[in-house]
Order: sequence, then C-alpha cells, then structure tokens
Amino acid sequence: MSILAYNGAAIMAMKGKNCVAIAADRRFGVQAQTISTEFEKIFEMGPQLFVGLPGLATDVQTVFQRLKFRLNIYELRENRRIKPKTFMSMVSNLLYERRFGPYFVEPVIAGLDPVTSEPYVASMDLIGCPMETNDFVVSGTCSEQMYGMCESLWEPNLEPDDLFETISQALMNAFDRDAVSGWGAVVYIIEKDKVTKRFLKTRQD
Amino acid sequence: MALSGMFGRDGPGPLWGGGPTPGLFYNFPGSRNTSGMEAKQVTQSPVVTGSSVLGLQFKGGVIIAADMLGSYGSLARYRNCPRLLKVNDTTVIGAAGDYADFQHLSSAIEQRVIDEECMNDGFAYTPTSLHCWLTRVLYNRRCQFNPFWNTYIVAGLENDQPYLGYVDKIGMAYEAPSLACGFGAYLALPIIRDTMDKKGELTKEEAVDLIDRCMKLLYYRDARSLNKYQLAIITKDGVDLRGPIVSETNWEIAHMIKGYE
Amino acid sequence: MAFSDMMSYNSMKQPLQDYQAPNQLHFNPYDFNGGTILAIAGEDYALIATDTRLSQGFSIHSHDNPKTYPLSSKTVLGCCGFHGDVLTLTKVISARLQIFEKDHNKQMPTSSVAAMLSTILYYRRFFPYYTHNLVAGLDDDGKGCVYSFDPVGSYEREVFRAKGSASSMLQPLLDNQIGGKNQQGYVAQPLPLERCVTLVKDVFTSAAERDIYTGDSVQISIITKDGIKNERFPLRRD
Repeated sequence: MSILAYNGAAIMAMKGKNCVAIAADRRFGVQAQTISTEFEKIFEMGPQLFVGLPGLATDVQTVFQRLKFRLNIYELRENRRIKPKTFMSMVSNLLYERRFGPYFVEPVIAGLDPVTSEPYVASMDLIGCPMETNDFVVSGTCSEQMYGMCESLWEPNLEPDDLFETISQALMNAFDRDAVSGWGAVVYIIEKDKVTKRFLKTRQD
Repeated sequence: MALSGMFGRDGPGPLWGGGPTPGLFYNFPGSRNTSGMEAKQVTQSPVVTGSSVLGLQFKGGVIIAADMLGSYGSLARYRNCPRLLKVNDTTVIGAAGDYADFQHLSSAIEQRVIDEECMNDGFAYTPTSLHCWLTRVLYNRRCQFNPFWNTYIVAGLENDQPYLGYVDKIGMAYEAPSLACGFGAYLALPIIRDTMDKKGELTKEEAVDLIDRCMKLLYYRDARSLNKYQLAIITKDGVDLRGPIVSETNWEIAHMIKGYE
Repeated sequence: MAFSDMMSYNSMKQPLQDYQAPNQLHFNPYDFNGGTILAIAGEDYALIATDTRLSQGFSIHSHDNPKTYPLSSKTVLGCCGFHGDVLTLTKVISARLQIFEKDHNKQMPTSSVAAMLSTILYYRRFFPYYTHNLVAGLDDDGKGCVYSFDPVGSYEREVFRAKGSASSMLQPLLDNQIGGKNQQGYVAQPLPLERCVTLVKDVFTSAAERDIYTGDSVQISIITKDGIKNERFPLRRD
C-alpha cells in the first residue's frame, strides 16, 4: 500500500466568481483505524491564502512548518504579502529539493492575489510538479471520486454561497465512497474582504 | 510487571497468526513473493515471428495484407513466409506472432475445410464462423496456460457484406471496419482510420493504394518488417491473392538522419 | 537464496554481461480492456448504459463496442473488464438461457438470471472471469431491478450502480443525485425516466473527460414492459 494512503485524506479547491474555496476531510487514521476526527490538513499561509496538505500525516506537519518558515523569511525580506503563484513556486521548490527522498504530500493551494484579488487554485504531486487550473483541483486518497463529482457539479462564476454548496457536496459524496477519508469536513470560502470557515457534519463510518 | 500481565513479556500475541489483524488491511498471501517459491513455468515464448497484419473494408469487399518475413529474434531469418491463408472463396486469415503456431493452426483449418467439403451439404466456413471458432480455440489454449502465440485477422464476405475480425492469444476478439496488429496498430492504423474517416467508403483502387502506402511505411519504420508483402482482396468475385509485392522505396533523405550514432 | 544474492552471483560468473540469454516473456492470461457500465432501476423501467470504447493500454481497438448484452425481452447484461472473458461469459450465459427456454418453454426471469450468473462466476473461483457485471431488467412484479456482481459471483440487488473503469467517478454522483446522500430533508421519490437519461448523459460526459478508457459514445438501453429501446449519445473520441 502506498505511503501516501497510509493516513488517508481528501482535499479539493475550486474557483468561483471573485472567490475561491478549499475544503478537506478531518480524519486522521492509521490504515483502517481512525485515530482522530479533528485533524487539520488546511493551513493558513496569509489572510487570503491557504494550502491543503493531503498525505502522510507526519510529512503534512513537517512540510507545513518548513513552508511557514520560508514564508516568514520571504515576507520579512520583501516586506509584502506573497502572491499565490509565488507561493506555489515556493512549495514546488521545497518538494523538489527532496526529489529522491520525497515528502509524501501532494499539496493543494487556493487563494486570492493580495493586490488584484484574482482567484487562484493549483495542485502538485509529491515531487513538486505544479498544475494550475481555471476550474478546480483535487488531491488525496479518493481523487477519482472527487474528479467525478467536481467534473459534474462545478460550473463557472459561482457566487460564494453556491460555491460553498458545490464544494461541500462534491467533497462529502466523494469521500463517502472512500474508506480512509471523511469523518467530517472543513470548508474555507475565501472572498476579498472575508474568509468564512465552516465545519460540515457528515456520516461517521 | 504491569506490562507483562497474564500473557507474559510478549503480550497476548497475534489474534490469528498469518491472518488479519484488527484495524489493518489484510493482504492475501501468495500474491507476490511470500514463500520464495517460483511457479513452474509451462509457457512457451514465440520463436520465429511475423510482424504486422493490416486489414480494411472497402465498397463491396475487404483487403488484407502482411509482409513475408519470419524473424528469429532480431535476425531476419526467413524471407519468404506467406502469412495469409486462403480458407475458401469468401475467407482469408492473416497471422502475426509465432509462425509455427500459425502453421499448426493452418493445417487444422485446412483439414476442417476438407471435412466440411466432404459433408457436401452446401455449408462452408464463413468469416464469422471461422472467427468465432478461432476465438474459442485461442481462449481455450490461454486457459490451459499454453497459448497459441498469435494475433489473427479474419477477412471475408458474409452475405456479400465485408467482414473483418480480430482475435489475439488471450481470446480477446472484436470486429471493426479497419484492423491492424503489431506495430501496424501504432504506425498504420491511424493513417487508415484517418483516410477512411475523411473519404468515407473507399473504392478498391483507393484501398489497394492505402495498403501499399502503409506497408511501405511499416518497412521504413518497423525493424521486424520486409519490403515484400502479400495482399488478398476478397470481393464477391472470390479471393484475389496477390504477391509477393515489392513496393518502391526512396532512401534519398536517409543520409540526412543524424544523431543516433 | 535472496534475489539480490543471485544477481551478484550471476554477475561474477558471467564476464560477458552484454551477451545474455533473452528474457523469457511471462504469459499473462489477463488483460484490461476498459469500459464503464451503469444501471439504474426505476419504478416501471430499468436503464443500463455503457460506453462503446474497447481499448488496451494506450491503444483504442474499437470505437463501436457497447458492453451491454440483451439476454431476453426484459433483461440486459452489462459486462466489462477483460474482453476475452466477457466474450466467453456472454456465450456461456446465452447457451444456458437457451437450454432454460427449451426446458421450461418460457424466458428466464431477471432474478433467476442473476442467481445463475452468480453460480457461473463462482464456478471459476480459482481462475476467475475478470469481468464486472450488472444485470438490469424488470422483476416478476414488473418493477425495475438492478443486480450487481463482483468478479467471483457475490451479488446483491440495488437501485443504482456503476461498474468498470470510471465507476469510482460515477458512483458518488449517483449516491448524491439518486440516493439523496448528504442532502438534508431529502424525501425519496420515484425517478422519472427523462431525468434519469439526462443524468446518465451528464455523468458519462464527465467520466470521458478524466478516464481514458471511457469515451466515443454512450449507449443507453431502456427496459420497459414494451421491450428494450436503445439510444446513442456521442462522447469525446480522444
């Protein structure tokens, strides 16, 4: 079994009209055994920038800490907020430095540009090959299910409320068909002037 | 002391030795390298082999072609191997893969044609029935782990309608308006499909030209091919088996290819 | 002897490493030819859909090979996976159905087709048919029914089920749209046929976007008391 699927996770991000959303499940397990249902997999990297890290839980936390360190250095040196695209390069670089002994995480990035408020989503593989899209990105142990849901439910120019409903339904129904992810979810809706964080109650099996 | 309890130092031990552990996925044994034992090998591998066979339907008939090389690994060993077999006036088969297996099946088919003829009941092999029979023979051998190492293309006319069928060594079979196996599936089939999509139904002459172009292309790019091929055209007038055909090639630009030394 | 030990042992004994005997090809009796099937049971109808692509690795063998097989006027089988096994299995089933019809002078009911398929599959328990199966049809009361099987014959009756290469993309959406999963205050209602057909076209279009083994077109068979009606809808062909 892949190390990437050892703990289980499901994360996706979607673009809307002047907003983006990122959502993740909350399970932390060891193979089939669930340990916790309050595990954080989405991390705040700026007022309107979030990164989701599905994969091996120990690497999730290590990668987050190392990213946060590099981000702090960047913002001290530049004295400004990082752009999502620049942050994506930072993540990509960090992962590629471990090309032959990788961190087992496949990050998802979602945010608004600090100047133009342009929506941005991207994902990458565990050695940092990035993919930017205009619709949605998914990553985790039920990516096929998430692709199936997103491909059918997503449409362009969703308002924040509709985007919330779309990403929630896409995520919940996808991870309900995966044994190692689920057990509740968290959704962030990122708009120009506010970020809304909501927890979803889902089936616990 | 508290740690050992009633089970001693090592705890209670596994619930079920070699079996599933609660809270873990169970991996069935024997899937790979659990005991170090290797399965007994009964399988052959191909020895003298033929490369691509091409087939396509045109207005009122079918055309099928194969070159005449019998390769021995990378050695171009036999240069006069017919790989098309005329079964009767409406049916031709072409074979890729192991040549001995093809010869073995050829004699079996020829004997069955004779037997059928002796019945004198007016029935003979049709392309559909031969294709179906081949499917069963090849599937049966794959189930015994002793396959006929071939891919067959069956071409012919059934009730004056063109018929093309494919079957490989594991019994995977289907029908289609254009078929190719081996390297032909990668090099020639895209061209054949494209031409047929653009022109619609081909005439006999267009079909022959297309086949010649594809056989030439295979000779240029498939290392296990030969510039000498046979061609069978099946129409309601019967089977026209042509060949050996040597198509004209042009190597003028070959010297310009550099960088692979 | 461990594998790595053997390697080093061989390389010491053989000075001419470039000239070694060719590797023996191991014969693999299975292959995967892709394809997706989907069946939904309605109040007085059953629907079964299939894509028409037949592929192997990165090549497409055929653009026109639906993976549904009508078994009687009120039963259709969906069957995909390894196409060699699909061909054999469908031949076995139609032979058994013919015998049944001659013996009993009637067509086999859908529930019995399902039970028979289960035993046919289990008969090959230790050299399985590598096929994913769905049986869709009308039951003895004229209601739509769907039976889904695993490759070795375990089966159950369901209302909707996707099988094959894109099943993991289709099934969660069916859970949501037909099963009403994760919808608060959902009240189960009979599903109208038109909505069902639209949904099937939508999910297959989505699956064709992401699954290379699904595409070309989708064939939808609708089974009612009046017989089986077929409908084609184009999908992407790349």
